[in-house]
Amino acid sequence: MALDGWKERLYRQYLYWICRPARLKRRLAALIGKGKTAPPPDGQHLRVAALQVEIELFKDPLDYADMAHRRVAEAVAAGAQLVAFPEDNNLSLLGMLPGVEEMGEAVSEDAVKESVEPAAPDITVAEVIRYIGPVLAPFLDLLYSTLAASYGLYLMAGSFLLPDGERVVNRSFLYGPNGELVGTQDKVHLMPIEIEWGISGGDEFRLFETAAGKIALPVCMDATYFETFRILELQGAEIAVLPIANPEPYNYWLALRGIWPRIQESPLYGIKSALVGNLLGFEFTGRAGIFAPVELTADGSGVLAEVDSPEKEGIAVAEIDLGALAELRRDHPWRDSNPALYRRYMPRLYRSL
Amino acid sequence: MIRAAVFSLGGIRTGKIEDYADDLSAYFRELQPDLAVLPAYSSLLLCAASGRLQGEDSFNGYCKAFVREAKGWNEIYLELHSELARDNKLFLVAGTTLEEEGGKVYHSAYCFGPDGEICARQRQTHLSREERAFGLSRGGELSLFEVAGMKAGFLVGNDARHPETGRILALKGAALVIHSGAIESGAKRVQPAGIWAQVQQNQFWAAEAQLKGALGGRSFGASSAVIGPCEITPDLSGYLARESEGRPFAAAELDEDGRLRIKKSYPLLKLLHPAAYRGRLPELYG
Repeated sequence: MALDGWKERLYRQYLYWICRPARLKRRLAALIGKGKTAPPPDGQHLRVAALQVEIELFKDPLDYADMAHRRVAEAVAAGAQLVAFPEDNNLSLLGMLPGVEEMGEAVSEDAVKESVEPAAPDITVAEVIRYIGPVLAPFLDLLYSTLAASYGLYLMAGSFLLPDGERVVNRSFLYGPNGELVGTQDKVHLMPIEIEWGISGGDEFRLFETAAGKIALPVCMDATYFETFRILELQGAEIAVLPIANPEPYNYWLALRGIWPRIQESPLYGIKSALVGNLLGFEFTGRAGIFAPVELTADGSGVLAEVDSPEKEGIAVAEIDLGALAELRRDHPWRDSNPALYRRYMPRLYRSL
Repeated sequence: MIRAAVFSLGGIRTGKIEDYADDLSAYFRELQPDLAVLPAYSSLLLCAASGRLQGEDSFNGYCKAFVREAKGWNEIYLELHSELARDNKLFLVAGTTLEEEGGKVYHSAYCFGPDGEICARQRQTHLSREERAFGLSRGGELSLFEVAGMKAGFLVGNDARHPETGRILALKGAALVIHSGAIESGAKRVQPAGIWAQVQQNQFWAAEAQLKGALGGRSFGASSAVIGPCEITPDLSGYLARESEGRPFAAAELDEDGRLRIKKSYPLLKLLHPAAYRGRLPELYG
C-alpha cells in the first residue's frame, strides 16, 4: 500500500513545515555559542569520539537537533576532532509520525520480531521511509553540516534509512570541518531483517582522503565479513568509522564478532558508535569504542577506549596515531599475503554463491 | 556426531618417545575421541627433548638445527604418530613439523587415519615476518579431507590470522577446521582474532590445539579449545570446551545437526556480497 492518499500528502506538508530550514537554523543559532571548536588535525595524531546514543522518539525534530548538538558539544569538550554517531540515527524522527509510540506499546515483542508492521501489515518499512525520507534528508543534512562547521570537526552523522530513487538504503554520512559533505557509504552487507524490510544494499566500499586521515564508513553488519576490512586495508584506509544498531540483548561474545577481530585481521583504527535502548519492541545494545591493532595498544587488548554500559548513553574518546599505524604496516610482524592461493580458489568460490 | 579432543602437550612427558606415547595413549583412552589434534611445533619439541638439537639456545637456532635433522627425524615422528593413530583407532593430527622438499622448507601438519595411513597433509600458506626471514616457503593449497564422515580442512600456525584461509575452506564445504598453533605467552590476548573469529564468520567447527610450554627460549601459552558458532553454546561464547589448569586438553562432541540449524537460521555465507568485492580485492581476483 503506497502512502499517497490525500491525508498522507497533507500530513507530509505538515512534516515539511516543522522540519523547515529556517526553524532549524534559528534553533541551532540559539544553541551554538562561540565556545570551543576542535583543533585542526595535524596529520598524525587525532582525537576521536564514538558516541553511544540512547534512542528515543521525538515528535518535534528540534528536540532531536538539541540531542545531536548536546552530544557533539560533549565530544568537543573532550577534545574530539572526529565524532561518530550510530547506525539508524534517524529512527528517532519516526516519532513525528502519528501513532508510532502507540504501535510500539501495543505490539508484543514476539510479533515485532516477525514483522515490524503487525498493526498495519500492508505497509512496509521501506514505504514508511519513502514517505518520510524526503522530509528528513534535507533536515539531517542541514543539522549535521551546521554542527560540523560550527565546531570545526569531522562529523560522521551516523547512518540513516533514506530513499534513493526506487531504493531504500542504509547510508552513512561524513561531514568535514567546513560543513561540506565529504562522502557517503551505503551499507553493503544487510541483516536478514533489513532485507525483509525492503532495504537495498550498496555495491562498493568507498574511501575518503581527508586532513584527518583516510577514512572509510562501513556500516554495522559490514564488520561481520573480513572482506570489508581487507578491501579497506588494500585501499589504504587508516580509520574505519562503523555505526552499529544491534537489535539483540548484549553479550560480550556476540559483540566480539564485529569490529575487533576485523581490526586485528586488517590493521587500521576502528571507531564504533552504537545505538542503544528500546524502540518498537526492539532492544538495541552495544558498547561504543575505539579499537586498534593489539600491537598499537599498550595493554595488548586492541581497545583504546570503550563505553562501560551496553545499554545507556555514553562516549568513548581516545587519541589515535596514524604514524604508528603506518610504521606497523610497513614491517608487520605476522601479516602476509598469498595471491596465488587466493586466485586459485576465491574467484570460483565467490562465483558459486 | 563426532568427538574431538585438542591437546596443548603441557605436562606431557616428551623426554622419551615411549613416555610421550604412553601419556597421549592414556588421554586417548580416557577421552575416547574420534579426532585428536596436537599443537604446532610438536615435532621440534620432541626432537629437542630427545637431545638432537643440543648446543642451540635460540628458537631460530632450534629451527635451523631441526631442518638439518628433519629428514631422518621426520620419519621417526611420522611413524610414531601413525602408530598412535592406529593403536588408538582415531584420526590424529600430529601437530606440525618442518620439512624440506625440492630445495624449499615448509611448515606442515599431518593427519593420520585410524588405519595409521596419512589421510591429509597441509602446508602453512601464510608466513610471519620471522618465518619469511628464516626461509620458509608458503604452501599453495587448502584441501579438504574426511574425518569420521565430516569434511575437514587444516590451518597451520599463522594461517589462523588470515581470514582468507577459513573462507576458502568454508566455501569449499568444510564443516570442521583443524588448527595446530603456537602463540607466545605475551600475545595470548589476540587469540580470539584467530580461529575463534574464523569460526564466527564461517560457522564451521574448529579444533584448536595450541602449544603450551617452552621451546628454544620461547614460552608458548595460549589455550586449546573446541569451538563452534556462538549460538551453539548456552553462554554464547562458542567455546564447547577449553583447556583448564593442569589438564592439557579440551574435548567436546560436535552436534552437526545443531550447527546446520544455526547456519539455516542465520545464513552468513549466503549474505556475502561478491559483487562488491570484485575489482576491489586485486589479490583475490587478479
